[in-house]
Amino acid sequence: MTASVLQATDMPTRRAVLPKWLAGIAILLPALAFLFTFLVLPSIILLSYSVLTQSESGDISLPLTLSSYQRLVSGPAYRHVVMTTLRVSVLTSLFASLLAYPLAMAIAYGKPLFSRITMILVVLPMVVSVVVRTYGWQLVLGNSNTGVLNWLLQLIGFGPAPVKVMFTEWAIVIASVHVFLPLMVLPLAASLGRINPSLNEAARMLGAPAWRAFLRITLPLSVPGLLAGLTIVFSLTAASYVTPQMVGGNRGLMLGVLLEQQINTSFDWPMAAAIASVMVAIALGANVGVEWLVGRRAAARLRRSRAR
Amino acid sequence: MAGSGTATDLALSGLTKVYGTNTAVAGVTLRIGAGEMVALLGPSGCGKTTTLRMIAGLVEPTEGDVLIGGFRVTRIPVHRRNIGMLFQNYALFPHMSVAENVAFGLQMRGLAKAEIRPKVEAALSLVRLGDYADRLPSALSGGQQQRVALARAIVIEPNLLLLDEPLGALDRNLRENMQVEIRQIQKRLGITAVLVTHDQEEALTMADRVVIMRGGKLEQVGTPEQIYSRPASRFVASFIGTSNFLRGNVAGYGGGMLRVSLAAGGQVLVPWPDDGRREVLISVRPEAVALAPLAEGAMPEIGVPATVQQVVYRGQTTHVHMQLADGEPFVAFLPNRVGESAGQSFAAGDKVSASWSPQSNWLVSDA
Repeated sequence: MTASVLQATDMPTRRAVLPKWLAGIAILLPALAFLFTFLVLPSIILLSYSVLTQSESGDISLPLTLSSYQRLVSGPAYRHVVMTTLRVSVLTSLFASLLAYPLAMAIAYGKPLFSRITMILVVLPMVVSVVVRTYGWQLVLGNSNTGVLNWLLQLIGFGPAPVKVMFTEWAIVIASVHVFLPLMVLPLAASLGRINPSLNEAARMLGAPAWRAFLRITLPLSVPGLLAGLTIVFSLTAASYVTPQMVGGNRGLMLGVLLEQQINTSFDWPMAAAIASVMVAIALGANVGVEWLVGRRAAARLRRSRAR
Repeated sequence: MAGSGTATDLALSGLTKVYGTNTAVAGVTLRIGAGEMVALLGPSGCGKTTTLRMIAGLVEPTEGDVLIGGFRVTRIPVHRRNIGMLFQNYALFPHMSVAENVAFGLQMRGLAKAEIRPKVEAALSLVRLGDYADRLPSALSGGQQQRVALARAIVIEPNLLLLDEPLGALDRNLRENMQVEIRQIQKRLGITAVLVTHDQEEALTMADRVVIMRGGKLEQVGTPEQIYSRPASRFVASFIGTSNFLRGNVAGYGGGMLRVSLAAGGQVLVPWPDDGRREVLISVRPEAVALAPLAEGAMPEIGVPATVQQVVYRGQTTHVHMQLADGEPFVAFLPNRVGESAGQSFAAGDKVSASWSPQSNWLVSDA
């Protein structure tokens, strides 16, 4: 003790070149500059485009107007696209969560080897490009008899080309569930893994069949992971472009594809900017909404806990 | 609560669990009377927890049967066995209030709300937590949490109460209080109970009978007094409390006593029938031993010569650690009286004669 104290005081005192707070900012500066130049600035420009007017010649300038947003909300065709986007995103995150529970439980509760293999199988598709995977779905879901699904169904005896899934919302939902499933499974498995296994045993001993123990104990306690997964999958589906572009067709038109059309076909930059802003708002809204839900739950628990 | 069903007995018959090539439990046969509390005691890996989990239905036996009240429940799933269980980590549902935790088992039995409320209140007041019904488990101390778990386990009026190291996470004083409290409630309700523990004191304090397990088998079954004063083997004698072991040869028999000459020199009398064995292992509890100074080269008439190595003052007792002529250790716990330490007259290097009454000798198997 004494020796080390002596040593410490004997050390030559070295004055810091920069005060601590300034050094911190200096370290952060490159990243901040990068984010400002390539995220904040473009976002501001985008937002401002969405409320500016485009002249006949294509120049974008004042006066300020909300007409792009107005068209997006009130135009039946545009509103349809917004609703399709929301519907596909909700369905995708719901179906993904249904498929993800068994997988996440296999990862969280399985024997080490089985658990690791399941994990690898879940994550492996992420190594392949979205474009390639979506081409795969084009082959599977094709509406003609050459589509793998239709070919199989016909083999079993459902008549020629029984399902017309390709170029509908359902094609987007199916392909998106596949693409985003790992992002639902991973937070869910982490959440399930943190639940004390004795809780399930205690519920079983108290008379709960396996399914009731799941509904009353495992499910509510895995809600943090579930909400994280739902938020991620919902936001990414709502913002996706490749999948709806390749398997959605005109009946499954989503905001991402509409945005691309506005820029490359209609050359309507303010409209494109408005669509982009709405897409960001949807993603933000989902995140903020979930945060609020979680916060309210925690607060309610705390209130109850201090009730007496 | 008071009329919590009729007490049921528990029988294990040839209960066996094999994991791959490893036999965790090997043919355990045991009968536990109605209203009795039995402690399964042993070092980690002895199979006590696996045995408990097979009784609970959480682990499926490889062979053998579990009978509760004469009914074979081996193939009955966990949730239909009507068994209460206390876990080491309490296993309270963190998202439910204390009252909701206790009500859970009753809800699973399909009771109406109006029936559940008074039962929950009665169970909580039994564990003196009536004022905590609306708290979340996380707002309670460890001892309170385990009392909630106890209320939750007994409110379903179980045929059997299983306790899996329930007090391991509590500090010493609280643990002793909880041992007494759980024991009182178990006795009052007359529930048959099985306690798993590696804490010998806990087993001796709480249980009517103690089962010593070793390597998946029953080593000895008996009352705490039998286990302590009549250990069957060297293993039991050294696992429960401290014991000295002396090797010797039977030199004669007379007056109901074996005369044993010890490998370390000296001799002792052992009240034991002459069952023909010649080489014996004697177990002697350290608190039975008295010490007397011994002249250099002398041999005690009855007892064993030893050399003092260390004298440790321990408050109630003084521990005198010695070495015998054959190199084996030997220890005596001498009681201290106020103002007079028992070990004062001995110092390291002293030659002493250690002796004890013949009744303190007990022959154990060398395993």
